[in-house]
Amino acid sequence: MILDSKIPSGDLKGKWEKHRFEMKLISPANKRKFKVLVVGSGLAGASASATMSELGYQVETFTFHDTPRRAHSIAAQGGINAAKNYQNDGDSVWRLFYDTIKGGDFRAREGNVYRLAEVSANIIDQCVAQGVPFAREYGGLLANRSFGGAQVSRTFYARGQTGQQLLLGAYSSLSKEIGRKAIKLHTRKEMMDVIIVDGKARGIVTRDLVTGKIESHWGDAVVLATGGYGNVFFLSTNAQGCNVTSTFRAYKKGATFANPCFTQIHPTCIPVSGDHQSKLTLMSESLRNDGRIWVPNQKGDMRAANEIPENERDYYLERKYPSFGNLSPRDIASRAAKEVCDEGRGIGSTGYGVYLDFADAIKRLGENVITERYGNLFEMYQQITGENPYQMPMRIFPASHYTMGGLWVDYNLMSNVPGLHVIGEANFSDHGANRLGASALMQGLADGYFILPYTIGNYLAQANLEKLDTSHGEFKKAEKDAEERINSLIRINGKRTPASFHRELGKVMWDNVGMGRSEKSIRTALEAIPQIKEEFWSNLKVTGSGAEYNIALEKANRVADFIEFAEVLAWDALERDESCGAHYREEHVHPDGEAKRDDENFAHVAAWEYTGEGNKPIRNTEELVYDNVQFSVRSYK
Amino acid sequence: MLSFLSSSVLNKIVVAVTGLVLVGFVSGHMLGHLLMFVGQDAYNTYAQNLQSLGPLLWGIRIFLLVCAVLHIIGTINITNKNKNAKAVGYNVKKYQNSTFSSRFMIYAGLAILFFVIYHLLHFTLGVVNADYYNTFDSMQRHDVYTMMIMSFKNPIIAVVYLLAVGFLGLHLNHGIKSVLQTLGLNKDSRRSKFELLSLVASLFITVGYMIVPIAILLGYIGGNL
Amino acid sequence: MKFKLHIWRQKNSTSQGRMEDFVIDDISPDMSFLEMLDILNEGLIVKGSDPVAFDHDCREGICGTCSLTINGVPHSPKRAITTCQLHMRSFSDGDDIFIEPFRATAFPVIKDLVVNRGAFDKIIQAGGYISVRTGQAQDANSLPISKVAADLAMDAAACIGCGACVAACPNGSAMLFVAAKVSQFALLPQGQAERKKRVVNMLKTMDDEGFGGCSNHYECEAACPKSISVKFINKLNKEFMAAKFFKDAV
Ligand SMILES: Cc1cc2nc3c(=O)[nH]c(=O)nc-3n(C[C@H](O)[C@H](O)[C@H](O)COP(=O)(O)OP(=O)(O)OC[C@H]3O[C@@H](n4cnc5c(N)ncnc54)[C@H](O)[C@@H]3O)c2cc1C
Ligand code: HEM
Ligand code: HEM
Ligand code: SF4
Ligand code: F3S
Ligand code: FES
Repeated sequence: MILDSKIPSGDLKGKWEKHRFEMKLISPANKRKFKVLVVGSGLAGASASATMSELGYQVETFTFHDTPRRAHSIAAQGGINAAKNYQNDGDSVWRLFYDTIKGGDFRAREGNVYRLAEVSANIIDQCVAQGVPFAREYGGLLANRSFGGAQVSRTFYARGQTGQQLLLGAYSSLSKEIGRKAIKLHTRKEMMDVIIVDGKARGIVTRDLVTGKIESHWGDAVVLATGGYGNVFFLSTNAQGCNVTSTFRAYKKGATFANPCFTQIHPTCIPVSGDHQSKLTLMSESLRNDGRIWVPNQKGDMRAANEIPENERDYYLERKYPSFGNLSPRDIASRAAKEVCDEGRGIGSTGYGVYLDFADAIKRLGENVITERYGNLFEMYQQITGENPYQMPMRIFPASHYTMGGLWVDYNLMSNVPGLHVIGEANFSDHGANRLGASALMQGLADGYFILPYTIGNYLAQANLEKLDTSHGEFKKAEKDAEERINSLIRINGKRTPASFHRELGKVMWDNVGMGRSEKSIRTALEAIPQIKEEFWSNLKVTGSGAEYNIALEKANRVADFIEFAEVLAWDALERDESCGAHYREEHVHPDGEAKRDDENFAHVAAWEYTGEGNKPIRNTEELVYDNVQFSVRSYK
Repeated sequence: MLSFLSSSVLNKIVVAVTGLVLVGFVSGHMLGHLLMFVGQDAYNTYAQNLQSLGPLLWGIRIFLLVCAVLHIIGTINITNKNKNAKAVGYNVKKYQNSTFSSRFMIYAGLAILFFVIYHLLHFTLGVVNADYYNTFDSMQRHDVYTMMIMSFKNPIIAVVYLLAVGFLGLHLNHGIKSVLQTLGLNKDSRRSKFELLSLVASLFITVGYMIVPIAILLGYIGGNL
Repeated sequence: MKFKLHIWRQKNSTSQGRMEDFVIDDISPDMSFLEMLDILNEGLIVKGSDPVAFDHDCREGICGTCSLTINGVPHSPKRAITTCQLHMRSFSDGDDIFIEPFRATAFPVIKDLVVNRGAFDKIIQAGGYISVRTGQAQDANSLPISKVAADLAMDAAACIGCGACVAACPNGSAMLFVAAKVSQFALLPQGQAERKKRVVNMLKTMDDEGFGGCSNHYECEAACPKSISVKFINKLNKEFMAAKFFKDAV
C-alpha cells in the first residue's frame, strides 16, 4: 500500500496557507446537505463537532460516556502549549515546531508539526473567548509556565485542571450547538464498527449501553476522536473506559494503524500497592523541581526511608545525569527507575517504586513554601497512600500515560479509508516517538477547531457520494455482525471474568513491551498473547444478556480488542529495530545507556494493515523527509 | 399574580420578602408586649393607640394579611415541588450542614399558622375564652392588660403560647439568615456574621415573647389580680 | 478487613429496587472504595450473578462520573472528595456500609447505582456557554482580567458536574451546579453579553427538568467534592434578580 501523506509542496511556512487556499469549498447552503458522524466528545471530538456545526454541516456526536464532559481529556493537569511568546522569552512558531520535532525524536512529519505550531496561538484566543479561566498575572494578562523540559515559558494553565477547563470550553460550544438543535448527541453509545460502502466510510454501528440496542447510523463522513489505547497495559493513568475498540475496528475494516509501539510512560505516578489496583494516578511532574529521587544502595533494604543514612542512598538521576539530574526527560527518568528496581533496589512492598524526597527542600525552603507550591499534590498523595509526604518521602513509579501511535492519517487528517477521519490522540499524531508535556491538548484542539473542519470540506466537495440510509445492505450486515459479536461473547460462558484477562494481558505487555523492550521480551509477549486470546474465547464469563445494561459485557467487548491489538503493538515494537523516543529497545543503546536511533533504516512511519483473522498484518511505511531540521542526538547529560 | 409560583427562584424571593415583612411585624409586636412590665395603664394606652389608627391600621392589617397569604402559598408550593424533586429518599441519610430548623420550616410554619388562627380568635376577636376578653379598665378601655393576665394564669394557654413562640424561634433561626442569602446579600465575608445575627435575633424575639407569659404564670406581673 | 455491604439493587429504570446485603472479606486498607466493589463484582461474575452496576471512569476525582451515596452522604463521608478518592482505610474493620445511588427525581436510576444525569446537560444547553464561533476570537491578551476575578471564576469553574449537590440537597435542587456555571461567566468580561439571558434560561431549565428549589440547607456545599461554596448561590440569586427586575433597556 502506498501511503500518501499529501503534504502540500512549497516552503514549510507557507504550506498550510497554500493548502487552505487550494482546498475545495462548499457553499454555506450546501453544507447543510452533508452529515458528519463524530465518535468521541473529548477535546478533539467536541471541538470538531461544534466547529463543523457552526460552519453549517449536520453533525451527530457519539460518546460512550453519560455526557460529553466526562471524556478523558478532563484529566489533563499540566497545561497546554502555544507559541504566543507572551513572555518575550524568544518563543516562536518555529521554536515550538523545532522542539516538537526534536522531542519526538525525529519520527514526526515536518509539515504537520509546523501547522500545529502555527495554529497553536489561535487555540488560546478561542478558549479565552469561551470563558476558560486560565491563570493570570496581577496585571490581568495571561500567565505561563515552563513545562516538560522546554526552555521557554509557553504553557498556559488553569490551576491543576487545564484539561478540565479546556474540555468544558469545548463542551460548552458543543452544548450551544445541541441547544439550537444543530447537533444530535448520542450518549452511552459505544461504537462497534465502521461501515464502508464502495470503499468509503459511510456510517457506524453503535450499541446502546443502557438498553443493549444495536443501531447503525449513516453519514457522509466519519470522524473518530476516541482517544488513546494506554489501557492495553491494564494499569495506566488513563480512565477505566479508555479503549482501543473504535480505532481497532476501523483497522479491521482497512484503516492502517501507525506506530502502535510508540507509547509514553510517565515517570511520576503513585506506585502499585497491590493486586487489587485498578489504575495509577499521575502526580504532576512539577514535583521533580524540588524533590530528590533515590533508592537504597543495598538490594532488598527493608528499613524505613528515614532510617537509611545519607551515605547508603543512591540519588541515581543526579549521579547519572549531573546536569539535568532529577529533571531529566520523562523517558529517561522512567527507564532509570525501572533499571534500579530491576536490580532489586526498588522500595515499597512490591519492590516497584523509588523515593521522591522533599526533606532537603523542606529544610532549605521551609514547610510553608513547599505547601504553597505543592500543597494540593501532597494532599492527593496522602489521600491515596495514607502516608504523609512531609514526613516520609513519596513513593513513585512510572506508568503508561499516553499513546503516540494511532490510526494513520494524511495531512488532511483522513485515514487511508476515504471519508474516515481521525483526530486527537486516536490518530498517530504529530508527536513522533515521544510527546512533549502540554502538547496533547494543543494537538487535540488544533485538529478539532482549526484543521479538520476545513479539510473535511475538501473531501466532501469532491467525494461524489451516493445517497443512502441505514436500510442499505452494508448497514444491515454490520448490525448483524455486531449482534453476533455480542452473542459470541455471552455464549462462551466459561469461568474467568473480563477484568482478569485484561489484568493478565496488561502484565504481559508491561513486563515485555513496556518501558524497555528487547527482541527476546517481545517474542515472549508474542507467544503469550495468542494464548490469552485463545483462553479468552473459550473461558470467558459474562453474566446477563446483551439486551440490558451489562457492565461485564461492555468490558469483555473492549478487552477482546485490546488482546488482538496487543499483538499488533508487539509486532511493531519488534520490527522497529532501533530505539527512538519512548520506544526503547535494549539492543540499541549508546554506551552511556541512551536510546540509539537508526535514521538510515527507520526514519519512517510504520502503518500496519490488517490481512485477516490469524494472519500477520502487513507493515507499510511512509518515509519521513526532513528539509528544515537536521537529525541530531538528544543528550541530557 | 401567582405566576411567580412557576419559577423556584422567584418563588423563594417572594417567600423571603414576605417573610421579612412578617419578621418586622413579629419584632414590633414583641416589643409592644414588653409594655406589660410597665403596667396596666401603659399597656392599655398602647393598645388603644393602635386601635385609634383607624384606616391606617386596616391598611397595615391588609398588607400583613396579603404578605402572610403569599408567604403561605409560596412556601406550600415550593415545599411540594421540593418533595416531588426528591420523591425517593435514602435508607440511611446523614446530614452535614443543614439544621433541624432548616428542615423543620414547613412544620414550624404550619404550627405558627394554626397558632395565629387560635390567637386571633382569642385576643383579637374574643371568640374563645370570651370571658377573659370582655374586660374593661377604669377608663372603660378594652382591658387588654387584664385579659392577658387572666389568660396566661391558665397554664394550658400559657404553654400553648410558649410552644408556638418556640416554633417561631426555630422558624426564624433559619428564616432570617435564609432571607439574606435569598436576596443575595450574603457575601462570603458576611456569612458567619449573618449566621450569628440570625441566631441572636431569633433568640431575642423568642425570649421577648416568652417572658411575658412566664412572668404572668410565675406571678411577677399581675400577681395581685 | 471485613465489611457488611448493603447495596441498592434495581434491574432497570422501571423495576422496583431493594437493598441487598453482601459480606466481603480480605479487603486491604489501601484499596480504594471502587476497587473494593471491583472485587465484589469479580466474585459475583464468577458465581454467575449479576455484578453491581456503578458509574466510574477516571478514578482520580476529576471526571465526575462516580456517584455513590455512602452511609448517607453523596460521594463519601469524608469531605471534599469524590467516591473514587475514598479509600478503605477510612472505615473500621467490621463496619456496615450502606451504598445507594444519587437520589433525585431528576436523576432517574438506570440500574443499581447508576443514574441518568442528562438533565445537567440540558441545563448547560440552555445557556451554559458563551456564544463565540470558532475563529471569531480576538487576541487572548487584548482582554485583561483581574487576577481576583479570574481566580474566583476558576473556583466556580472547578465544578465537575457530578450531581452530588443534587443528591445531597433535601430538595433535590441543582442550584449549586447552576450557580457555579452562572457565576463563572458572570465574573468574566466575555460572559457579559449573554449574562441576563443565561441565568434566566438556565434556571428555567432547572425547574423544567424536575429539580427542586433552594431553601438554603447548604447540604450541597458539604457534599461537593470540589467544595464549591454556596456563596455562588447567593450570587446566582443576585444575578437572577438583576435579570428579572432590571431588564436591559431596548
Ligand atoms: C492523567 C493525564 C494527564 C494528562 N495531562 C496532559 C497535560 O497536562 N497536557 C497535555 O497536553 N496532555 C495531557 N494528557 C494527554 C491528553 O489529555 C490526551 O491526550 C487528550 O486529552 C486526548 O483527547 P481526545 O479528544 O483525543 O480523547 P479523549 O478525551 O480520551 O476522548 C475520547 C472520547 O471518545 C469516546 N469514545 C472512546 N471510545 C469510544 C467508543 N468505542 N464508542 C464511542 N465513543 C468512544 C469517549 O467517550 C470520549 O468522549 C494527559 C493525559 C492523562 C491520562
Ligand atoms: C409570623 C409568621 C412568619 C414569619 C415571620 C416567617 C418568616 C419566614 C422567613 C424569614 C423565611 C425565610 C425565607 C427565605 O428562605 O428566604 C420563611 C421561610 C418559610 N416559611 Fe415562614 N414565616 C412565617 C409564617 C409561616 C407560615 C404560617 C408558614 C406555613 C405555611 C411558613 C412556612 C415557611 C416555609 C416552608 C419556609 C421555607 C421556604 C423555603 O423552602 O425556602 N412560614 N419564613
Ligand atoms: C406571648 C406571645 C403573644 C402575646 C402575649 C400576644 C398578644 C396579643 C394581643 C394582646 C393581641 C391583641 C391586640 C389588640 O387587640 O389590640 C394580639 C394580636 C395579634 N397577634 Fe399576638 N401575641 C403573642 C404572640 C403572637 C405571635 C407569635 C404572633 C404571630 C406569629 C402573633 C400575631 C398576632 C396578630 C396577627 C394579631 C392581630 C393584630 C391585629 O389585630 O392587627 N402574636 N397579640
Ligand atoms: S457543584 Fe459540586 S457537587 Fe454539584 S455538580 Fe458541581 S462539583 Fe458536583
Ligand atoms: S442543599 Fe439544597 S436547599 Fe439550597 S443550599 Fe444547597 S441547594
Ligand atoms: S471516577 Fe472520575 S471523579 Fe470519580
